[in-house]
Amino acid sequence: MSATSLSEPEDERLSPLERWTQLLGGGWIFILLIALIAIFTTLRPEQFGSGFNLSMLAINAAILLVLSVGQTFVIIAGGIDLSVGTVLVFASITSAEIMLRMSGSAGGTYGTTQGGWGVVFVGLIVALASGAVWGAINGVLVAAARIPPLIVTLGTFGMALGFAQILTNGTDIRAVPEILVDAIGSGAIAGAPVLVVIAAAVALIGAVVLHLTRFGVHVFAVGSDKEAARRAGIKVGRKLVAIYVLSGTLAGLAAMMSTARFATTTIGGHAMDNLSTISAVVLGGTSLFGGIGSIAGTVVGVFIPIILLNGFVILGIPPFWQTVATGAVLILAVWIDQLKRRARERS
Amino acid sequence: MKMTVGAAAAFALLAASSAAEAADPAIALVLGVKGSPFYQALACGAKAKAKELGLALTISAPDQFAADSQIPVVNAVAATTPVVAAIVPTDAKALIAPMKQLADRGTKIVTIDQTIEDSSFVQTQILTDNAQGGRLAADAINTLLDGKGEVLVITQPPGSAAQDARTTGFEEELKKYPGIVYLGAQYQSDDPQKAAEIVTSTLSAHPKLAGLFSTNDQGAIGALTGLRQAGALGKVKVVAYDAASAEVSALKNGAIQALIAQNPKQEGEVAMESAAKLIKGDKLDKTTLTEIVTIKAGDTATADKYQYKGDCD
Repeated sequence: MSATSLSEPEDERLSPLERWTQLLGGGWIFILLIALIAIFTTLRPEQFGSGFNLSMLAINAAILLVLSVGQTFVIIAGGIDLSVGTVLVFASITSAEIMLRMSGSAGGTYGTTQGGWGVVFVGLIVALASGAVWGAINGVLVAAARIPPLIVTLGTFGMALGFAQILTNGTDIRAVPEILVDAIGSGAIAGAPVLVVIAAAVALIGAVVLHLTRFGVHVFAVGSDKEAARRAGIKVGRKLVAIYVLSGTLAGLAAMMSTARFATTTIGGHAMDNLSTISAVVLGGTSLFGGIGSIAGTVVGVFIPIILLNGFVILGIPPFWQTVATGAVLILAVWIDQLKRRARERS
Repeated sequence: MKMTVGAAAAFALLAASSAAEAADPAIALVLGVKGSPFYQALACGAKAKAKELGLALTISAPDQFAADSQIPVVNAVAATTPVVAAIVPTDAKALIAPMKQLADRGTKIVTIDQTIEDSSFVQTQILTDNAQGGRLAADAINTLLDGKGEVLVITQPPGSAAQDARTTGFEEELKKYPGIVYLGAQYQSDDPQKAAEIVTSTLSAHPKLAGLFSTNDQGAIGALTGLRQAGALGKVKVVAYDAASAEVSALKNGAIQALIAQNPKQEGEVAMESAAKLIKGDKLDKTTLTEIVTIKAGDTATADKYQYKGDCD
């Protein structure tokens, strides 16, 4: 079942419609998303369907989507990255610290600094580099030391958080450049929140790289069958390092987005981001065993839990029932997807 | 086919929720985290009071006590535009923007339990004096130790304003008692295992450890485990913040000598009373303090009264 996306002849057997629904994330998941939106909009049209709420939903999805795009690459390549959330925390600490030192003492209101775009740019580079370094550590340990990715990234999950706490003594850095918060965190381009624009661009570029480039084909090949990929002349080790570096770098980008949005670093947060991204990726039809998947599916997968939470709070469903209902919907969604796939394989 | 099951379930949930849809003014309560006895007790107090005052209360809570987990919940509450929103802000800075957004949409904001750095748009802050709680703990430990001995603090890593204030209050008050030797603070993040390790290793380094103060219940539970492991239960006097069920039973069986308890039910009630006043158009004081008490060993009646429990449905 893991070869469908790799080899040409099998691809040709799929009808154009099937290929289209596969790109849309297994079809059913996409229909589920539409159904959820339709149900909540029907029930609370002025509240759920309001422009305000829809833009809130998109903003809430933005950071998770950037992380999930990286996670999609890793999982399609047959790996897993548990470290994304704490790499985000680490990168936000290093970048916020640099930005704070460059802009001098805290000024402005509520601990924002007067740092300019130059400071923000340096911060961004530091965040991306911090993420990339952790990604490279993950990649090298997985590819060269042959330690299972689950263990490697669980280890770096703890180390990244530990170093973030060592650097700050456990206290969040609360003074960040005001323009970062104003222009990126709560700013908009032509009515679209900047964070959402960034996330959409990342998803779009991610989809192009994954589905339309040689690198993307290699990602699928490595995830389908490492040995076959090696024999076909693909440098599997290098590809794995590149994939984990990509995931780490995207966590660095997400770190800047997080700092811009919360106007502070969030050492205590993002602990569950790894599971959120993995469940989003799997919901989107990507196989946990590697070799199958799409970015479009991941986009849908990111939105489903966020829309569920939002809709449940708006409907006033008690908090404990929300947890149960969200879990049940996730299992139901993946189950339907499995049934659909089995039916396809049988035909 | 399966879709219809999902849709039916969703509609069933709606039917259940639309019962609350009455003409009463809508109040939203956003807790710090799901499933904590403290916040469950707070929710119970709020529910009872809301019923009494004729308010339509909706309660929600994030999965973790963290800003990134709570902000989507606050955003969803904002979409429902309640008349008053009572919120436990999980981060003093990150929650400013989403709460301000809520205020801009015409909702009156009340904070409970935790505070926020920019309170300009907040009608009232309902809280307990954490520094005072720390001072009470220092007084209690001084009495228990007859004014002399080595004392340890187990608290959370710096960053939580409430926990920091408890530690600072304790340290300041301790300066009044020259016979007490302060060994400093050790950190655990809501992790009883870590707290147990801190206690056993401190006992190795300082066998004459006479007392310890834990600034929250998880630290206290772990500290007791460590003391039991080292056979020092009862020898080392323990003063702990909060009145979680485990702490109250430890107080009753003599493992803990004093508890510094807050009154979450009262916090919930005060939040609803404040909401009712805001609806009437009254002005409120910028802060509303709720009570804090020392419960000594043997005082089971008080312990039962203040025990944190979500005993409502």
